[in-house]
Amino acid sequence: MPMPSSRAPHLRERHRSSADAAGGVVPPTLRRASPLCLELPGHPVATLALAAAGAGLLTWLAAGRSKRAGPASQGGRQALPDRGRSYGSRGAEVTASAAQRLNHASSMLAASVLFDSGLEHYRGQFFNRAMYTPIVVSSITLASSLHGAGDTDPGSSRVRHAAQALAGLTGLVGFGFHAWNVGKREGGYSFQNLFYAAPIGAPMALTLAGILGVVAERVRDADPDAPELAGLPAGKVLALATAGMLLGTTAEAGLLHFRGAFQNPAMLLPVTLPPLGAAALALAATRAPGASQTEAKAAMWAVSAMGIIGVAFHAYGVARMMGGWGNWRQNLIDGPPLPAPPSFSGVALGGLAALELLERHRSRF
Amino acid sequence: MQSRKDLFPGYDVLAKRDTPSWNPKTRSVIDERLAITPRTHRFLDAAEFATLLAVAGRIVPQPAGRTDPVPAAAMVDHKLASGEHDGYRQAGLPEQGTAWRLGLKALDAEARAAFGAAFGELGAWAQDMLLKTCEDGALRGPAWADMPSDLFFKKRIIPDLVKAYYAHPTAWNEIGWGGPASPRGYVRMDFDRRDPWEATEAKPGREEEAYQENLRVGR
Amino acid sequence: MRLSGTGTAADNPSRGTPADDPMHRPRAVDGRAPDVMRRGEWVPMRQFRDEEEVDFVIVGTGAGGGTLACRLAEHGFTVAALDAGPYWRPLEDFASDEMHQSKLYWTDERIVDGENPLQMGSNNSGKSVGGSTVHYAMVALRFRPEWFKSRTLLGYGADWPLDWREMWSYYDQVEDDLKISGPVTYPWGPKRPRYRYRAHELNAAAKVLARGAEAMGIDWTPTPLATVSAPRGDSPPCVYRGFCTVGCSTNAKQSVLVTYLPRALAAGAEIRDLAMVGRIETKDGRATGVHYFRDGRWRFQRARNVVVAGYAIETPRLLLMSANREFPDGLANSSGLVGKNLIVQGNQAVWGDFEEEIRSYKGPPSLAVTEHWNYEDRGKDFHGGYCYMSQGPLPTLWGSTQAGAHGLWGEALVSEMQRYNHVAGLKIVSEYLAQERNRVTLSDETDQYGLPIPRITYSWCDNDKALNRHGLDFMGQALAAAGGRNIWEQGDDTNHLYGTARMGHDSKTSVVNGDCRSWDIPNLWVCDGSVFPTTGGVNPSLTIQAIALRTADRIRAMARGGDRRDA
Repeated sequence: MPMPSSRAPHLRERHRSSADAAGGVVPPTLRRASPLCLELPGHPVATLALAAAGAGLLTWLAAGRSKRAGPASQGGRQALPDRGRSYGSRGAEVTASAAQRLNHASSMLAASVLFDSGLEHYRGQFFNRAMYTPIVVSSITLASSLHGAGDTDPGSSRVRHAAQALAGLTGLVGFGFHAWNVGKREGGYSFQNLFYAAPIGAPMALTLAGILGVVAERVRDADPDAPELAGLPAGKVLALATAGMLLGTTAEAGLLHFRGAFQNPAMLLPVTLPPLGAAALALAATRAPGASQTEAKAAMWAVSAMGIIGVAFHAYGVARMMGGWGNWRQNLIDGPPLPAPPSFSGVALGGLAALELLERHRSRF
Repeated sequence: MQSRKDLFPGYDVLAKRDTPSWNPKTRSVIDERLAITPRTHRFLDAAEFATLLAVAGRIVPQPAGRTDPVPAAAMVDHKLASGEHDGYRQAGLPEQGTAWRLGLKALDAEARAAFGAAFGELGAWAQDMLLKTCEDGALRGPAWADMPSDLFFKKRIIPDLVKAYYAHPTAWNEIGWGGPASPRGYVRMDFDRRDPWEATEAKPGREEEAYQENLRVGR
Repeated sequence: MRLSGTGTAADNPSRGTPADDPMHRPRAVDGRAPDVMRRGEWVPMRQFRDEEEVDFVIVGTGAGGGTLACRLAEHGFTVAALDAGPYWRPLEDFASDEMHQSKLYWTDERIVDGENPLQMGSNNSGKSVGGSTVHYAMVALRFRPEWFKSRTLLGYGADWPLDWREMWSYYDQVEDDLKISGPVTYPWGPKRPRYRYRAHELNAAAKVLARGAEAMGIDWTPTPLATVSAPRGDSPPCVYRGFCTVGCSTNAKQSVLVTYLPRALAAGAEIRDLAMVGRIETKDGRATGVHYFRDGRWRFQRARNVVVAGYAIETPRLLLMSANREFPDGLANSSGLVGKNLIVQGNQAVWGDFEEEIRSYKGPPSLAVTEHWNYEDRGKDFHGGYCYMSQGPLPTLWGSTQAGAHGLWGEALVSEMQRYNHVAGLKIVSEYLAQERNRVTLSDETDQYGLPIPRITYSWCDNDKALNRHGLDFMGQALAAAGGRNIWEQGDDTNHLYGTARMGHDSKTSVVNGDCRSWDIPNLWVCDGSVFPTTGGVNPSLTIQAIALRTADRIRAMARGGDRRDA
């Protein structure tokens, strides 16, 4: 935020002339050369954003129109009012609805990764070119997931499947990179480096987005009456998998909130609520197929809400930094990361999809 | 010996004045400092001040024709006039104002004795020679009274002039220091990292890049 | 309702408060004191009349006096704490400027002599409410347990009349009160509770220390610092602006000014700024109050107990200046040791430049530390220990170091200064030995209050010199191993002040007992670095504060046990 200027006229003059003053001699050639450089195209960050958006758009176009004609298949989120929640009685609609839910989940995660890695890698000044990767890949994932989210078609899409698999792989590679970055620092795998080197868990959010996206496609392809994943009942597998994801995300939040010394009691929420949710999911997986999962669903909605409310808490955290929002260029990257908490919501939506599959299982009988 | 270069082309710490790097108190403090002009003197008389100017020119030399020179001598006079002390003085040295007056007069007397001209009228070589002799404590003319010349050199000339010089934005530009920093501090602290509001050092062959970066520190 | 931290402290300070002059007009008057955390706001303050006999009048509000004032007030005693310095509002009064911020230092004249005259007036002397903690480097290290019995266990120095286990519980309390940001596990010494806040991110200068230590095969750690790494109330986390030693303008630094003193006020203590105490009055072998100069006149505050907490120059100076017919050699001086045994710590450094940019001006100056040579006794040809830390000198300090210690001037200086962003250094905090010839005495000259100016005499002994050599050699090797080039030694610097009113077991060989109570005058106490009989190889503030907390508890215990007049 610019502060009121009371600069005296003599200071302005001083300012103008001080380039000469800086160390005395400025080669005149430099001066003449400067206007040329000002004509270079925009800021590198803008270029990157453009590239990411382009990649996303291409993915969207490549995924194409849905195979089945009809009002519910126009491929847009908007084209499907309320359909996401109005489950039909037919199994295919259940799997498609669960798949859409999964795509919501992976959209949320991909968006979280997009903004979080953008912010963190901007902080790291894209020192390594590989640091551009998650931004482009998460854009592709986001586009693919949004595309899927609007697709009521039970059949899968090869393009989306591939995009999601790419995300899963990229996240793993990123994890390797970050782990290497932590280890090579002075002090090695110490808490100090886990706090301040490349965040070791962050790339895994992209992997989670990819996994949920891939599962979405697999679920679309599965037998609507007995959806399976890797030969096991889809609902159960997914419930257990998302429970594990919740615990992983909790570990990441726990590490970073420990860095913040849990200075605000609200910081305890993301390390208590999600494990409870994970437990609820695990419990749900043990219940008889078709049993009502009201409690587990409530837990998932609570975790999702926490992810969103977390953004508000982090915004408050930024305000508490020195200079508050006026010093945003420092505090947005040094303060609590705004885009991080919704990754919980993403995983929780995945959990909801699992619960949906579990609940709807009775349609088999 | 390396000589001074233009290592941070285009960098002006004052360009950050109206950014979150400067709080109001800092702005008013630096404004006051910038109001000191090279020839203002309230404490020393004209002859003493002329000698001080010459001494400053040798201790913290500046390029000729610098448009925004550091008024190091005037800043020392300002310190003496406002009575800001260091909090200690070595036994054998009088109080700072007395020491400066005595020492500058003595340097001048030594110049006249050795070269027949005022200190300020001597060439750089002769001034340096006298200052080196002073540093070694070998100036012992009657004008020094009981004050050892090496103590005067090490405890008055050096700290007062050097602190004055490096308290000025022009000197900050010269060494590429980030300058005032509050409420905004710094984010990137690793080796070879800088925030967009810090000076960029010109690497050989990449001066233009540094120049462009340095124009951005105030944004 | 105002959410914590978003009111004013964290605001972008875009406006100043109406002009007042804290250096010339007291702020803590009319029943209120500055709210140091919020721009332009005040907190209520209880005030005592001069004639009112308070339980405790405390001279000095730094690490010793300020901490003690807080705890005594919280224990229910009436307390008036006097400080010669101004009552700063850091958010409004502190500029990001070395030269201007020298206003935090004790710059009244002092004369230094001896073979190794001390440099005073900056890093070792504060003149502010909150004392030197307003400009300290926030390094919060504990003593090595053996140091409290260094005569018995290590064969040098003196045994303290304090038990290390008790001290460690008080360290824990200070660390909690200041929310010290430190490493998750500390490499040396007995297990300690986890620091309340996590360590700060390391800057490149700290990583140089780490690289060097790893190359030399010794442990290192992020330094435990009294500046928060996450929000705490109205304190925002540190923004790494790097001006710590000239005053923190964000209140991230947990100085006494922003921690214990607000608590002291809330508990009913009065703090008098710009109040210079010139003399302690005694009657029938007991202190009766202090004469102090405030608002242009000398006044007298009556008190049941007097605590002197002016640090190791001003404390003996006041005791000596208070000499009267009853105590012709100065107060509490039957041992003759008041002002003697002044100890400082070595603060030498090695500096070198690096291919990479270091920019050590970012972040707190000492983000990494190694205490290896505090805990390792093998391979030493001297008594004592030392730690060393990374450094972050700002331009005028760096310029005067290059000119003073490195002897550069002219073109050599200005061109060398252009390497500023590539320089890293390692600086020692080392243990010197007590010598009676190192002392504070009164000179014939007087200051602006008409009080005699102190003369400070200091010379190294052979052990000090051997330690200096060892430290400089080791740090030089470490810096070279980390990649430093053109390494040079800064051999002259010292820091921290101790010993001029030492505590001990015996009234013949010490000035105060383990409770900081003078042997000679039962209601006269000393609570600051002066009471240290040995220094250890760490910065003093944490230990001074732990002693202050203990003293407050001891005073309460004694008061419960008997006559309140005897405290």
